Amino acid sequence: MTDNEFHIVVLIKPVPDMEKVRFDVEKGVVDRSSAPLEINPFDLNALEAAVQIKEKLGGEVTAVSMAPPAAESVLRDAIARGADRAVLLTDRRFAGADTLATSYALASAIRKLGRFNLIICGEKTVDGDTGQVGPEVAEMLGIPHIAYVTEIREVTKEKLLVVSELGAPYLMELKLPGLITVTKDVNKPRLPTLKDKLKARKAKVEVWSADDLADVADVSRFGFSGSPTQVVKVLVPPMKKRRSQIFKGEDAVDKLIEALEMEGLLR
Amino acid sequence: MREDIVEALKNIVGDDWVVNNPEAVKSYLEDETEPGVKVEPAPATDVVVVKPVNAQEVSEILKLANREGVPVYVRGGGTGLACGCVPSKPGVVISMERMKEIEIDKENLMAVVGAGVTLGELLKAAAKEGFFFPPHPGDEGAQIGGLIACNAVGARAVRTGPMRNYVLGLEVVLPTGEILRLGGRLVKDNTGAGKLMHLFIGTEGILGVITKAVLRLSPQYKATATMVVPFNDRRACLNTVPEILQSGIIPLGIEYVQKKEVELTAKRLGLEWPSKEGEYYLLIMLAEFNEDTLYAQLEEIASICRKNGSLEPLLAETPEEQTNILKIRSEIYPTLKPYMEDSPDITVPPANIGKLIEELEKLERKYDIYIPLFGHAADGNLHPVIPVKEGWTKEQYEKLRMEMYQIAVKLGGVTTGEHGVGEARKKYLKLNLSNEAIETLRKIKKVLETTPSH
Repeated sequence: MTDNEFHIVVLIKPVPDMEKVRFDVEKGVVDRSSAPLEINPFDLNALEAAVQIKEKLGGEVTAVSMAPPAAESVLRDAIARGADRAVLLTDRRFAGADTLATSYALASAIRKLGRFNLIICGEKTVDGDTGQVGPEVAEMLGIPHIAYVTEIREVTKEKLLVVSELGAPYLMELKLPGLITVTKDVNKPRLPTLKDKLKARKAKVEVWSADDLADVADVSRFGFSGSPTQVVKVLVPPMKKRRSQIFKGEDAVDKLIEALEMEGLLR
Repeated sequence: MREDIVEALKNIVGDDWVVNNPEAVKSYLEDETEPGVKVEPAPATDVVVVKPVNAQEVSEILKLANREGVPVYVRGGGTGLACGCVPSKPGVVISMERMKEIEIDKENLMAVVGAGVTLGELLKAAAKEGFFFPPHPGDEGAQIGGLIACNAVGARAVRTGPMRNYVLGLEVVLPTGEILRLGGRLVKDNTGAGKLMHLFIGTEGILGVITKAVLRLSPQYKATATMVVPFNDRRACLNTVPEILQSGIIPLGIEYVQKKEVELTAKRLGLEWPSKEGEYYLLIMLAEFNEDTLYAQLEEIASICRKNGSLEPLLAETPEEQTNILKIRSEIYPTLKPYMEDSPDITVPPANIGKLIEELEKLERKYDIYIPLFGHAADGNLHPVIPVKEGWTKEQYEKLRMEMYQIAVKLGGVTTGEHGVGEARKKYLKLNLSNEAIETLRKIKKVLETTPSH
C-alpha cells in the first residue's frame, strides 16, 4: 500500500448466532460453545460500506478483531466479503475486557497498522449491545466520529457526508481521518461469491498477541486488568407462558375487563 | 347444521371445542387452492367445526357421523392446494389444531408428534435438541397430519425424498372408528403393520384420520450452504441439474427460480435478491458433516455449472442469509397468487425437465402469454403459473391447463407431483390413472368404510 492510497479499517466482532445460543441461567453467563460464531450482523453492514467506498476511491480494507483463536474463521469470512487484510488480536491477556479495555486494544492495533483514513464499525454488537466501542476507539485515537449512520451520501478522500439517526435524522459532515458506526439501514450486504469464499479459505489471517502491541500500548491496560467495569452476572428473564382463559355467560365482558385491568393492560 | 348433531359433538369434545357460529366457521371453509380450480364450500350455516384432542374423540366423532350419514372433512393447517379439506357439502369439519403433543426422542433420532403440530413448531422443537427435519413444503403453518396425508414434499427433498420417507409410525382412526397403531419407534418393521401404515400416507385422508405420528429426524448438519447459481440461458440452467445428480453429489435441494419472480417476491418481503447477474437461477442447498466436505462438493457443482455457461455462483452460509433465500423461494407462490388463475403441479422424469421447458415455451408463444415458472428442478417438478389474462374466459384457461397436463403426461409425467388431487383436481385424475386403478382405490376405500360385524 502506498501512502496516498485510501485505507479503511473495519472493526469486526465474532458473535454467537443469537437465535441458537443458550444462556447458563445458574452461572449467569452466555454459553458461547452452544452456537457457532459469525460476524456480528451490524459489522456486515460496516464491511459492505467499506467495500463500496473502496470500489469508488480505491485503496485497501483491513478487518481487525479482538477475540479467541477460533474467530479466525470469522475473519476469513470478512476476507471473502471484500477485506484485503485481516488482523486478529488474540491472547489470554486480552480476555475479560470491558468496552474501555476492548477499545484500547483495538485503537492500539490501528495505531500499529500505521496510516488510516476511515474506521467503520457496526452500531453495536448483538451479544454486548452497548454501542460504546466505536466512539471510544475514536476518542482514544483523537479523531472525530459520527455514530448511528444510516446513509452515506458523499465520499471523498477528505470528508464524508452522512445521515446520522439520533432520534431525528441529522445530515453531518465528517472530516477524515475519522470514524463512523453504521446501522442496518446503511446498505444491504452482498453475498460473497464462491470464488471469493474459496480464496478466503486459503488466505492468511495475521495473529497479533499483547506483546506485539507493546511498542504502541501499555499492555497493563488490556483485558481484565485494564477494565474498570465487570459483568457480574447475566440475568435471563424467564419466558412467560401464554395463558388462556375463557369467559362465559352474561357478565363475561365485565369479567374480561376486570382481568385485563388486573394485568395492567387496561386502565 | 342439525342442532342434535351439534349437541352430540359437544358431548364428545366439550362445549368449548365445537364451533357453529357462522362468522367463526367461515375461517374453516377454504384452503390455499388457486382461484381457477377452487371448489365452492357449503354455506357456513351448514357446517360445524369440531376440535378433538385425541384419537378417542376422533373415533367418537366418526362413529357419530357414520350413524347420522354426515360427511366429515379433516382439516390441518389449511395450506393445501387441492381443496382437500374444503367442506364441499354440509358437514363436519374436524380441525386437528389441538393435537399439539411433541416429544423429541434424542436417543432414537425421532419425534413423536400430534397431527396438529405445525411444521414450524416441529422445526423449532427439533432444532432446540440439535435435530433437523428436511421436508419443507414452503408454508410452515402446515400441520403434520396434513403433511403425511398429502405426502408433502417441497424444496429439500432431493436427497431424502418426500414425507413418506420420514414416517415410522402412525396412529390412524378408520372411517368406522377403530383406532390403529401402526409401526412405531422402529427404523425397520416388516410386519404387516409397517406395510399397512403406508396405505394412509399420501391418500389424502380418504382412508382414515391420522392423529399421531412417529417421524424420523436428521441430525443437524455442521456445515450448510445455499449456493445461488445465475445463468443467462434457461435451458442451460435446467439441463445442468441432471448433470449435477449424475456427478454423484446429491444435495438437500435444487430449486429453479427466475429473476422476474424472485425480485418481485424479495421486494414484497422487504428483502433483496442477492444476485445482480443472470435471468435464471439454481438454488443449491447443501448440508454436510464438515466444511471440507461441503466445499469439495461446492467446487464440483460449480465446475459443472460453469461448463454449462453459468456466471459466478454466490454463496450463503450464515443462517440468516440462507433463511432469506429460502424465504424468497417459499414466498414466490403467495406473491404471484393475486395474479394467478392456476398453478399446475406438473412433474416429469427428472431428465425430461429440459423438454418440459421447451414445450412450455411453445405454449407461451401459442397463447401469447408469459408463464412464470419456478419449482423443484431436481425432482422434475415445476410450477408453471397460468396468469390472469384480461378478456380470457374459463374455457380458455381450461384449455391451457389441459395442454400443460397433457405435455406432462406425454413426457412420462403426472399432473401432480406434490400438491395432490383433492376435490379440486379429481377430474384430471383420469389423465394419470386407468379406470382399473381408480376402481381399485374405490374398492379399498369401500372395505375400510364397511363397519365390521361383531
